[in-house]
Amino acid sequence: METPHYAPHYVAARVQRVLAEDDRTNELGIRVDVRGEELFLRGQVSSDERRHQIEDVARETAPGLRVHNEIKLVEVREPGEEEHL
Amino acid sequence: MRDLRIAAVADIHLGEDVRGHYRKKLEGIEQRAEVLLVGGDLTRHGTVQEGRVVAEELRDLPIPVVAVLGNHDYHSDANKEIIEVLRDAGITVLDDDSTVVPLDGLRLGVAGGKGFGGGFAGKCASEFGEPETKAFVRHTREIAERWRLALKGLEADHKVVLSHYSPVKDTLTGEPPEIYPFLGSYLLAEAADAEGADLFVHGHAHAGTEKGMTPGGIRVRNVALPVIEHAYVVYCLNGDGDC
Repeated sequence: METPHYAPHYVAARVQRVLAEDDRTNELGIRVDVRGEELFLRGQVSSDERRHQIEDVARETAPGLRVHNEIKLVEVREPGEEEHL
Repeated sequence: MRDLRIAAVADIHLGEDVRGHYRKKLEGIEQRAEVLLVGGDLTRHGTVQEGRVVAEELRDLPIPVVAVLGNHDYHSDANKEIIEVLRDAGITVLDDDSTVVPLDGLRLGVAGGKGFGGGFAGKCASEFGEPETKAFVRHTREIAERWRLALKGLEADHKVVLSHYSPVKDTLTGEPPEIYPFLGSYLLAEAADAEGADLFVHGHAHAGTEKGMTPGGIRVRNVALPVIEHAYVVYCLNGDGDC
């Protein structure tokens, strides 16, 4: 297996694939970036539990990297103004 | 003909961890709209258990609900069971067909289903080469043809297409262009343009934008929850009067 430190591009791709395919997450919309020994997670999910689950799966998939969880919670506001078509 | 208010949302991705949250946001919806359209990705893993959560959140609303499934709702190969659970809860689920919703003297026709990908004119896959590629493109082509026939057969005052995948690139702006072929297909737009519709509603592209238009001039709206950032949006189809 590739050493994550030497192949950041592949590590990011692998984490993104696992986040989509792992039954604990099944998240397709999470952006993963690796810079040096830091891994950044960005995107939006609808609960704090999902946010943490994604971080856990990312840590497992890329051990040794420092994970920065920058995933935001989707804000579901009350309906606003209607649009006239 | 009077105006008609349609509420729409997609990508609600419900599960046990968010049970009850979305339902609260639907309180009073009957004062804002006459029908709710839900454009797929109702669940996260596509399990029957999640389907039951969706059914509980959407059942017994004071207005009719019409939904389609999304790719997440297919993930556990339980799409047929999920459709059954939703229908048992009184929700109309379109699966490449259509329905007419009677709304106080007006008939709203809704046609559609999940849809599929393939890309957009000039930058898309075609039915050529390996069987896997041909099957991918054929799936979308067959869906588009079923939608065209469904639209053609609709007798209604207003017609709306409800989909999960996008018919145009406009509403994908914000997504990486490299993944557009997995987000929609122009064949869906072509089917709608062939028979005409007042509105095309879809989801799927969480990082996209809300507003677009088909080449034939049908308004397209991406109502994925992360895009609209509201529990739903309301579109007013204008009749003779003011909306």
